[in-house]
Amino acid sequence: MDSRYGYDQYREFCELARKKNVIFYYVGYFSQNIVTAMAEAVKLRLEQSGTAGPVRRRLFSSFVEMAQNIIHYSADSLTPPEQDQHELRHGSVCIGVDAEGRHFLLCANPIAIDQAEALEVRLATLRAMTMDEIKASYRESLRSEVPDDSKGAGLGFLTVARDASEPLEFEFQGTEDAGTAMFFLKTTI
Amino acid sequence: MTPLHIPATGSSPEIEFRFDDHELSLRGESFPENAAAFYGPVIAALRDFLDQPGRDQALKVSVSLTYFNSSSTKMLFTLFDLLDQAAASGRSVQLHWWHDVEDDTIREFGEELMVDFQNMDIQLCVIDA
Repeated sequence: MDSRYGYDQYREFCELARKKNVIFYYVGYFSQNIVTAMAEAVKLRLEQSGTAGPVRRRLFSSFVEMAQNIIHYSADSLTPPEQDQHELRHGSVCIGVDAEGRHFLLCANPIAIDQAEALEVRLATLRAMTMDEIKASYRESLRSEVPDDSKGAGLGFLTVARDASEPLEFEFQGTEDAGTAMFFLKTTI
Repeated sequence: MTPLHIPATGSSPEIEFRFDDHELSLRGESFPENAAAFYGPVIAALRDFLDQPGRDQALKVSVSLTYFNSSSTKMLFTLFDLLDQAAASGRSVQLHWWHDVEDDTIREFGEELMVDFQNMDIQLCVIDA
C-alpha cells in the first residue's frame, strides 16, 4: 500500500462520510468566531439541501447550543481557566441523517470528572422527562436566578431537548487521564 | 440621555436605544459568547432611563430577532420584565414583536410573551418577505 497520502485515501474518507450520511463534521478548537462561521456554513448547507424550515431552525438552534457548550465546558482548553471571554476549547461536532431520514447532531468533548458526575445526573433526569415536563422546566428555568457556575442560563440542554424528537442520548467514557472523561451527546430532530 | 447604539455582529444583534425619542430597537441574531456580558450594559442603560422622570411619554419597543440562543433568551426575558414592570407602574409601553411569516418558533415565543407580560402592550407583527 502506498505510504504517501494520495487522493485515493482521501476519497475513501469522503466516501465513508457520504455512506454514513454525515453532512457536516468538525474536530478541533472551538471559539466564538469559529462557531459563528460554522453556524453560517450549516445554515447555508441546510438551505441548499431543501430541508424544511422548522427542521432547519431546530437543527441550527441545537448546533449553536452544542457548539457553545464546547466553548464553555470542554476540559481541553487553550485559554487559561481564569479567562472567561474569547475562550478556545477542543471538541468535535457532527451532523448526519439517520436511516429514518431524520437529522441528528453528535458532539464530543473531554470534561473534568467532577463536572461529569453532576452532568450525568442532570442529563439522566432530563432523559426521564416527558415533553410537557421539559417545556414546564424550561419556562421555570427562564424565570429563575442564574446559577453561579453558569456562563449562561442553564437552559441549553432544555432547549436542545425541547427541539428533539426523542430523549437526548449521552455517554461518558473514561480516558487515560483519571481526572478527565469523554462526554458524548446526541440529539435527533 | 445619550443614545445607545451597538452595531450587529455575526453573532449578536443591533441594539439601538434612542432614549430622547422614547424608542428602543433590537434587530438580528443573538448568540454572543457571553450573553450576560453582552446584555448587561443594555439592561443597565434601560434601567437608568426608566429611573428618570418623564414617565408619561409612551415607550415604543421594536424587536426583530430571527434567532436567540438559550442564554440570550434568559437575558431578553430580564429585559422584557423590566419593561413590563415599568408598564405596571403606569408608563405606556408598546412592544412590537416582529417575525417572519413562516417562522412559527419566533411567533410562538411572542405569543408566550403576551401571556407572561400582561402590563405592556405586545403586538405580533409579520414580515412577509
